[in-house]
Amino acid sequence: MSNDPIHQFHINPISEPIHFGALDATFTNASLFMVAGVGLAAGFMWWAMKPAAVVPGRAQVVAEGAYSFIHSMVKDAAGEEGVKRFFPFVFTLFLFIFAANMLGMFPYFFTPTSQIVITATMALMVFFTVIVVGVAKNGFKFLKLFVPSGVPWYILWFVVIIEIISFFSRPLSHAVRLWANVLAGHLVLKVFAGFVPMMAAAGGVFVLGSILPLGMTVALYALEFLVAFLQAYVFALLTCIYLNDALHPGH
Amino acid sequence: MSRPLGRVDRSMADKKPPEDALSDLRRRVDAARGDGASRNALAQSPASLAFRFGGEFGAAIIVGALLGYGADYFLHSSPWGLVIGFGLGFAAGIVNVVRVAQSFNNANPPNPNAPSIPDDDD
Repeated sequence: MSNDPIHQFHINPISEPIHFGALDATFTNASLFMVAGVGLAAGFMWWAMKPAAVVPGRAQVVAEGAYSFIHSMVKDAAGEEGVKRFFPFVFTLFLFIFAANMLGMFPYFFTPTSQIVITATMALMVFFTVIVVGVAKNGFKFLKLFVPSGVPWYILWFVVIIEIISFFSRPLSHAVRLWANVLAGHLVLKVFAGFVPMMAAAGGVFVLGSILPLGMTVALYALEFLVAFLQAYVFALLTCIYLNDALHPGH
Repeated sequence: MSRPLGRVDRSMADKKPPEDALSDLRRRVDAARGDGASRNALAQSPASLAFRFGGEFGAAIIVGALLGYGADYFLHSSPWGLVIGFGLGFAAGIVNVVRVAQSFNNANPPNPNAPSIPDDDD
């Protein structure tokens, strides 16, 4: 059982079953680690910014660095108006994904971002925000997103269909990228880590050879820390790019 | 501990009000950093870029095929909706990949001083 690489993705209820009508809201290990991710992100920002010193301490430098990192990213991708409207949303998404990914790096911990239902929920949140804000702000001009300028009429209908498919493929690729990266990373990690006890149990010369998958596991762990940050960053960056379309729908 | 700090503060306050000193410092820090923009162009690994290409391509095909399948379901035109949707999804996937490549090229402009590589036509 412990050698099963899929075992780490099992969702187990940890409370009594809770039902709201047809909705199953039982508190599971996934819920627990999502709450922990929110708590870690919010708690760290609160604790780090508590002194609010002009000359920041170490924790405050980290908190302010994260803030200005995302701030300049939103500004580059969506302009000043994007910062005004969407910065809290993007910063929250980034911190939550980053905290959830980092918590998942602990052995025996559950990684919420390895469940596609969670990444898809966040991607659909961005998708519907784009539609709602785009229509509220631009009205029918939002449909210009699907009609590129300077295209002759006889292929325009074809281009419009392709643009619509391209638009609806966004939440899918947005969700799948984060999910697949985290899932694949944790699977590979578990498989290589599983080789160590298998080889050690085989005895003889294999006991010495088990050092090889062990080294690989350590190296992959370092890579996974990079992926944990990079995927949170990429998710936030793509969110900015998509939200920019809501503000400026013309190509 | 507090005395030397206080002395520094006073000597700074003698020259100009603290707000000016702060905005002056902000200006110098921004200048030293080269002011944002390029600082944020985080180098992505080739593998993650390749994964992005594949994801954009595949997602468009899946969505196109699903839309075609949905059209089949309501219009009872199976299998033509699926076939056409699949093809349109393929085209949309190419559009997605070209867009990603364009944005990548805009973010990482090629070195204009790089030596040109002769191709077969030359």
